[in-house]
Amino acid sequence: MVGLSIGEKHFIKGGIAQDLRCDGRKRLSYRPLYVETGVIPQANGSARVRMGGTDVIASVKAELGKPSRLQPDKGKVSIYVDCSPLSTPLFQGRGGEELSAELSVALQLCLLGGKSGAGAGIDLSSLCIIDGKICWDLYIDGLVVSSNGNLLDALGAAIKAALSNTGIPKVHVAAAASNDEQPEVDISDEEFSQFDISLVPVIVTLTKVGRHYIVDATTEEESQMSSAVSVSVNRKGHICGLSKRGGAGLDPSIILDMISVAKHVSEQFTNQLDSEIAAAEAREDE
Amino acid sequence: MATKASASPSTYSPSTRRRKQERPNIKDPDWVRSDGRGFHQCRPAFLRTGAVNAAAGSAYAEFGNTKVIVSVFGPRESKKAMMYSDIGRLNCNISYTTFATSIRGQGSDHKEYSSMLHKALEGAIILESFPKTTVDVFALVLESGGSDLPVVISCASLALADAGIMMYDLVAAVSVSCLGTNLIIDPVLEEESYQDGSLMITFMPSRNEVTQMTITGEWSTQKIHEAMELCLDACSKLRTIMSSCLKEAAFASNE
Repeated sequence: MVGLSIGEKHFIKGGIAQDLRCDGRKRLSYRPLYVETGVIPQANGSARVRMGGTDVIASVKAELGKPSRLQPDKGKVSIYVDCSPLSTPLFQGRGGEELSAELSVALQLCLLGGKSGAGAGIDLSSLCIIDGKICWDLYIDGLVVSSNGNLLDALGAAIKAALSNTGIPKVHVAAAASNDEQPEVDISDEEFSQFDISLVPVIVTLTKVGRHYIVDATTEEESQMSSAVSVSVNRKGHICGLSKRGGAGLDPSIILDMISVAKHVSEQFTNQLDSEIAAAEAREDE
Repeated sequence: MATKASASPSTYSPSTRRRKQERPNIKDPDWVRSDGRGFHQCRPAFLRTGAVNAAAGSAYAEFGNTKVIVSVFGPRESKKAMMYSDIGRLNCNISYTTFATSIRGQGSDHKEYSSMLHKALEGAIILESFPKTTVDVFALVLESGGSDLPVVISCASLALADAGIMMYDLVAAVSVSCLGTNLIIDPVLEEESYQDGSLMITFMPSRNEVTQMTITGEWSTQKIHEAMELCLDACSKLRTIMSSCLKEAAFASNE
């Protein structure tokens, strides 16, 4: 992992205990956030998010597909993350694959909600065009360009920004075909419908180092963690997903405390992210 | 006699109509679970160690229709390609038999399950006790009947104990489903398919530590409190069943 001397490790831990981290931040403050939208012209929506040394790109592609048999009135969303070895040699081979799989699963857990679709950030029924026949398939891909900790939160933010940037073409269905045939559709080039991202949750990862927890940890700080809890919170203050990383066990009361801290932090982070997204879209329009 | 025989037909034909999966009206106060359990009642658990002879340790678990078998190999030498490590490695794998689900070969995403199993167990095992070596945990789901992952995790920790791997405590796992305003513990497959959200906890009761926890769906903080309490209580009870199973096996081998 990260090669740190004993002195450096003590310095990081001591700083966190005294609420002054190596880069001068407090325990619950973020690195400066920078959002850029519309970075990939081929995609329906895309965004790049930078948080300090962490740099990620998310793209959203929409394709027409067939709804699954079990849920004929819903569209499909799939989320994949690619940790390319260009960001760190650590991601070469299996190391990158494992991390990619872990991040993809965590994002799906946090953004797609329960089996019945309750609590999903993305309204799947709005993706359906004709029940049981045609729906939009959304492919959300994340790419880690450069990694300096806190990848999950950055990817979550990038996906939210990319969704706000996504325009889904309007579809005109040609005269209703008979029951068995696949109806013909006409995809409009000019009319797009925007995505409602107000209910897309943000992900806040609390990393526990020593007895305290911090947000937005760098790679060095993550190497000293005992465990980390990622909580996704939507605007209503409801928890939409939770996952835990790291081996050490946690006392149940600590988890509840972490959830309430994450809820509190998420308010500020949501506001900051929303204003950054608005600023980025204003820049793009110019 | 003759009239009786004619009343009951001697042959039968299976009905070709498939039962439609409909979401029952959970708001109905008379709604009962398909197996007649109370909302906060777990399925009866059946646990046995020593299910596989070739393995260092193994266990079989049966919770209602969910049947799993877990075998543990090792600690054995890590693969040559692995770097030196002064703590032991844990390797977990979950697979489904092709007949585990109602549609053949539809065993759900076990890749993510394998990493969940790994994360749930690694906090409980004293990895320092077997440096440079690997412990392999292989789980096979014989029949998927809901709450597969929690059953596999509980069964795996029992198998690890049977193999004599040093652990801080047994890991018990329980999941809770949220259906409307109700919380139901230990959901079966049918209930899982229309749940609004689920919460799973893996817990070491004697150390009072949660090794892994996942939440999906939308939850208020109040509800998380409630669900966690339910889960933790059920985990503690499950652990007493698990340890009595181990004790029985130990007595049986002594005699």
